[in-house]
Amino acid sequence: MQNEVLFAILSLMAILSSIIMISAYRPIDSALSFIVTLVSIAALFALVNATFLFIVQIIIYAGAILSLIIFIIMFLNIKDENLPEEKHKTKWLLGTSFIILPFSAILIDLILRSDIEHNVVASDKFGGIHQVGLTLFSKWILPFELVSILLLVALIGSVTLAKREK
Amino acid sequence: MLKAYMILSVILFSIGIVGLISRRNIIVIYMSIELLLNSVNISLIAISADLADSSAQVMSLIIIAIAASEAALFMSLFVILFRNRSSLDANLFDILSSNK
Repeated sequence: MQNEVLFAILSLMAILSSIIMISAYRPIDSALSFIVTLVSIAALFALVNATFLFIVQIIIYAGAILSLIIFIIMFLNIKDENLPEEKHKTKWLLGTSFIILPFSAILIDLILRSDIEHNVVASDKFGGIHQVGLTLFSKWILPFELVSILLLVALIGSVTLAKREK
Repeated sequence: MLKAYMILSVILFSIGIVGLISRRNIIVIYMSIELLLNSVNISLIAISADLADSSAQVMSLIIIAIAASEAALFMSLFVILFRNRSSLDANLFDILSSNK
């Protein structure tokens, strides 16, 4: 029962702050409300016993990526005249919502009809760093190495792109 | 609980798609993409808890790593765009194809 109440509060926070995120005019407002979304998603991870992913989500997403975004927003010194005009923002938001609504309604209906729940009883240690690390370094070793190459490529690419041309 | 998690993931995914299509501010577009990745992560984590299998958690770990590398590239693109055009409008993003 307690879990359901917590889930309702956290999901409501995530949905509301993500709606604020896509509709705010200034990028700093949407970045700050996106932090709320990410932290509530991290708490939702902790609710299903995924403790390692909870920590990773808070450190990498809310800690590193969002602070990078906020740092860039402050570093670029964005004023109101630098933002795009977006005269018909509300119309666009409502129109795309009407387009997307049937698709998500069909998906939600499918999820409600299906019998996907297994509810295998997991041990207390499930989702900790021990089990995730064992799976990562046994079954998923090739994607892990590929991700390290991808991070290197992204590092070199971002440095090359942002370099000032003479 | 799994169904509730998946429904939440569908709702967040649709919100992210709406933001991705309808906004022109490039930073908001970037954060909508991050929201899409996060909603996929939610349903992966819920499935892994339901099946008591940690492969899906590793998958979402890899998705988070991909999102981090994407963040670095997007930040340098913001800096280039703002330096050349002094605007955050995504419609002005045609400088990659031409030689100024």
